Amino acid sequence: MIRLILSRLGQGIITLFVLVTLTFFLVRAMPGSPYTDEKKIPEHTLKRMKAYTGLDQPVPVQYARYLKNVILHQDLGDLIRRDGVKVSEIIGESFPVSLGLGVLSIGIALIIGIPAGVIAAVRKNTALDFSCLAAAMLGICLPSFVIGPLLAVTAGLGLKSLNVAGWSSPSDWILPAITLGLINAAYLARLARGGMLDVLSQDYIRTARAKGASPSRIVIRHALRGGLIPAVAFIGPAFAGMISGSFVIETIFQIPGMGQHFVNAATDREFFLIQGLVLFYGFLIVGANLLADLVQIALNPRLRSA
Amino acid sequence: MEKGTSLWNDAWRRLSHNLPAIISLFVLIFILLLCFIGPLLPFVQSPSAIDLANSTAGPSTAHWFGTDPLGRDLFSRVLYGGRVSLSVGLVATAVAVCIGVIYGAIAGYAGGKLDDFLMRFVDILFALPFLVLVILFSLVVDRPASEFTEWFIRKSGWARDSVAPITTLIPLFIAIGAIGWLTIARIVRAQVMAVKNQEFVEAAVSLGLSRSRILFRHILPNVIGPIIIYTTLAVPGIMLLESVLSFLGLGVKPPGSSWGILIKEGADRMETSWLLLFFPSLFFASTLFALNFLGDGLRDALDPKSAKD
Repeated sequence: MIRLILSRLGQGIITLFVLVTLTFFLVRAMPGSPYTDEKKIPEHTLKRMKAYTGLDQPVPVQYARYLKNVILHQDLGDLIRRDGVKVSEIIGESFPVSLGLGVLSIGIALIIGIPAGVIAAVRKNTALDFSCLAAAMLGICLPSFVIGPLLAVTAGLGLKSLNVAGWSSPSDWILPAITLGLINAAYLARLARGGMLDVLSQDYIRTARAKGASPSRIVIRHALRGGLIPAVAFIGPAFAGMISGSFVIETIFQIPGMGQHFVNAATDREFFLIQGLVLFYGFLIVGANLLADLVQIALNPRLRSA
Repeated sequence: MEKGTSLWNDAWRRLSHNLPAIISLFVLIFILLLCFIGPLLPFVQSPSAIDLANSTAGPSTAHWFGTDPLGRDLFSRVLYGGRVSLSVGLVATAVAVCIGVIYGAIAGYAGGKLDDFLMRFVDILFALPFLVLVILFSLVVDRPASEFTEWFIRKSGWARDSVAPITTLIPLFIAIGAIGWLTIARIVRAQVMAVKNQEFVEAAVSLGLSRSRILFRHILPNVIGPIIIYTTLAVPGIMLLESVLSFLGLGVKPPGSSWGILIKEGADRMETSWLLLFFPSLFFASTLFALNFLGDGLRDALDPKSAKD
């Protein structure tokens, strides 16, 4: 088990390395530069500015310097277009917002998705099952930028206390979190249903039934633990995806999270901010995957010997 | 002589008993015909004809779905947008499936060290933030693609209006396709490994056929079922991705339109006219719904063992 964790950890480090390298060269292959602006910058000023950020060096030198700064000094660099602002400051400001949104929405996804999937599996091929499945399919098929505005109009205008845009008071968090939560609830419900159906047809469930355990006890005590494994496996990546992938939600509800910064940095060619944000995303994803692996091992004793 | 039932006959029989899947198939064919053949019909108006006197009008006999704020006919905009969204979905999936099948087949058939190396690479790519990389990649290939557009117009002499809507999508095809092949590579590898030790492969080996001929002529046709299933299920995911990218202003750019762009425009003006959001969303969601149900149905039909009931 320790070997498994170590090998996952090693793989995570390689993943981050590949990610940093890939981003570094993709960013430099983009047309345009961070210095293209409406007004023309004088030649010598431009030269000084480039020397200051190190962008006048050959690309391999830049790459080596960037790796050195990140690994040895944990320094992600400065913003190019805004003087004296560090990439880490931007991440420090926006990450708590994205994290809050992510935690809240994953909570909503769990509360709605898991029970819906379990009930659908237990009441297989009934009207209840079909309506759960259809609702889940709808959540998967409707893009978040449809669900978001729909919720905003139906709830935000009905209940005047909920703000449709902004991020100042706690009530502003509700709509975006529900939007993001509902989409993932749909995936979770499908996974939970599939996993539960697999488990419910196995021999040890028949044994439990034969010895006279009540139906609710069979589901809660015997089936849940195994049946939820696929759903748990999804939570890890989903959590990282929620924090990084909530670009659309952040755009709709005008939330100052990391997603907005990333989209702006990509269009402005803020090289160091793009690299820093991608590395940070990668870090979150690797961490979340590792955590999901550990929870799976805890749930499934058969994995422990591996 | 009595005719045996082939795998395909069998699968079709099972599929035809699956009502949601059959309905989905017809809905898909209907939407495909509507979007690709519909705009050729004489009564469908131009999607770019601006009529400011008639802006944000409700549905009428002249404009079936009403008009947008610039007075453009929403019905024809939905059809033309559908062309783009469906092409992106189909072509990007085709790119992804081609890469994934070849990669997975080689890994599965070679086995050993090469397999280890290839699949470790897939694991690593799998953990990368997908959307982020697609965004970066589409920015990188943006300029080469527009240069290609100019070059193609010069060489072929075709009208810009008929070339540009397709060639400007090339970055999207490549970006989505290049990163979307991972799942299919895993599936194909597992299938090839399951098949490669069976007798008919041994027979092919003893006949002295070359390795590539065995892989592509004998093994791959036997794993085509899972590939078809996955392809059907991948198209909706990729269409969703296209719409997200277009929504963020990184995919299809105006004046070109796709369902993603129409939905975004509709969402922006939802308070003045909800129909602008409703019609594009209806087409988009129905297509995705149908593809998902068809994919589930195909899985049950082609791979009865995995059918969960």
